[in-house]
Amino acid sequence: MGKLKLALYWAASCGGCEIAVVEIGTKLLDLAEAADIVFWPAAMDFKYKDVEAMPDKSIDVCLFNGAIRTSENEHIAKLLRAKSKALVAFGSCAHEGCIPGLANLNDRASIFERVFKETPSTDNPEGVLPQTSYKVAEGELTIPEFQERVRTLAQTVEVDYIVPGCPPVADQVWNVLEAVIKGELPPPRAVVGADAKTVCDQCERVKEEKRIKRFLRPHEVIADPEKCFLDQGIICAGPATRAGCGTPCINGNMPCRGCYGPPDGVLDQGAKLLSAVASIVDSQDEAEIKEVIDEIVDPVGLFYRFSLADSLLQKIKSAAGKGA
Amino acid sequence: MPRLSGFDPNFKEEVLAEPGGENLYRCFSCGTCMASCLVWRVNPDFNPRRILRMVMLGMRGEVLSSPVIWLCSACDVCYPRCPQGIHVSELMKAIRNIAIREGYEPPGPVAMVDEELCSGCAVCAMACPYEAIELVAKQPSDGRRPVAQVDKFLCLNCGICAAACPSGAVSIEEFGDKEIAMQMQAGNWFAEKGLEPKIMVFICNWCLRANADLVRLNQLPPNIRVINIPCSGRMDPSFALFALKEGADGVLVVGCQPGECHYRRGTYIGQGKMGLLEQVFAQMGIVDGRVRFARIGAADRGKFPRLVKGMVAEVEQRREGK
Repeated sequence: MGKLKLALYWAASCGGCEIAVVEIGTKLLDLAEAADIVFWPAAMDFKYKDVEAMPDKSIDVCLFNGAIRTSENEHIAKLLRAKSKALVAFGSCAHEGCIPGLANLNDRASIFERVFKETPSTDNPEGVLPQTSYKVAEGELTIPEFQERVRTLAQTVEVDYIVPGCPPVADQVWNVLEAVIKGELPPPRAVVGADAKTVCDQCERVKEEKRIKRFLRPHEVIADPEKCFLDQGIICAGPATRAGCGTPCINGNMPCRGCYGPPDGVLDQGAKLLSAVASIVDSQDEAEIKEVIDEIVDPVGLFYRFSLADSLLQKIKSAAGKGA
Repeated sequence: MPRLSGFDPNFKEEVLAEPGGENLYRCFSCGTCMASCLVWRVNPDFNPRRILRMVMLGMRGEVLSSPVIWLCSACDVCYPRCPQGIHVSELMKAIRNIAIREGYEPPGPVAMVDEELCSGCAVCAMACPYEAIELVAKQPSDGRRPVAQVDKFLCLNCGICAAACPSGAVSIEEFGDKEIAMQMQAGNWFAEKGLEPKIMVFICNWCLRANADLVRLNQLPPNIRVINIPCSGRMDPSFALFALKEGADGVLVVGCQPGECHYRRGTYIGQGKMGLLEQVFAQMGIVDGRVRFARIGAADRGKFPRLVKGMVAEVEQRREGK
């Protein structure tokens, strides 16, 4: 048996997941010793044709970060699926759509309209929009198609493992790589590099009374660093978010944003967080309750910040769009 | 003919001395409490008037061992109606406290916590209208955080905690997530053709008070599926999303009017959840009429069919508009 073959790829992502891999530091040398990296566009020079030339299932493990936004993302996802024994949705974008997934609040046409025509810094008097092919004197230029909506990796191809996080924290990245190197990955369809409970299980803050008259956004108040954010009226996604990150945001006095996704058994992270938040509103007055919840700005961005593309809500929206 | 020898003439003094029991003597057995009692309607064995009478007669053993003394949900519908100003739920609490000291237990069911899933966020404890949940450190030595623990003496199985729990650790008997999911899907309703528009109604068990209304609940056409829940506060927004994803055209959640909630504040929690969910739908640009929250009160006889009709009309309008 030859050396372990590892591939890393980024689709629609910010690059943070790549940094998370580099963040393992000198352990990269251990990784290089144990595995051949056969594809890693962010760090090393490869071409797609190199991957296309590989036999099927010749890559042992592929860590795929990024959501599926363009036809190129989709093409490479399918290619790497065919070439890899184990395909890992690495990071929140590949896992559940993450921040790119919030673009699904809009459709392609309105995104183009906004980005290429309306934004104040845009100078586009002819109203040119991206086209997949364009004829120039030298021939035809093509670019990938911007698809109607963002999809997760698992909505595009079959996924074997999920490593949650935006980005996955370095310790967990190494835990996963170590498991890969030692051949100790659990049976497929598992979440790896995270825990079973939710963030509250690891949060050191003191929890006392959460009965809230007015929800605050993080910029409106300097939070007490000892007290549970929800107790202070600051909406924290911790109760509805899988643990494993080691609470860096909370240690930095910012509430959990929910990037590790829902814990096992939860269908829709946003609905669960919404339910928890509404259950601690301290009012027995119809009008006041309406006021308290109306003051919650951008509820989709708050409750579904990372999970929108993978949510039940998204499925309902997609079905509604189809019927139109 | 009850035998006097089994009676305890001091029992009424015992109840009077218990916090909450002070106003026992004011009761002249008019029965107004019973007439307005929601529990009595579904379980005539629970008759507050009779229980208070039995206390005054000194039927200590029978009262304390009775399974019905645990049924009062402290909705306090009777409180403002009592001509003597007796806070019956407080009196019931006093009687229960004595029963607890005597070793009696409520017959249940109560909420259950899966400690392997509970992360101790305390949301359930805050949502509970009866302060029946507290966080308890089970194994502090091994560094594990406190987990939620249900006080079986206080829990009334309303399920507000189960809906509030963000990690699926809390569940209740009879109206658990699994049972509700099974009812939603029973008979393959979602797949059935020709039933459009399909409306899934989640209705609080207590908000329909007139028998005529309860009968109408069973006479709805097959495109309306009614799921009974103990309280609109039990509504988990995930149920609504699941129903819509599976093919329902609209979800209607019905709770009690303010001040009439059987579980103190469940209807307010239901309102908040469904209101927030409506906002989420609006922001997603999913057209109106998918999720609705409505209230039915003691004075709203005949309102339920109108609500359903209104929802059907709204959904039909949307479908035609396509």
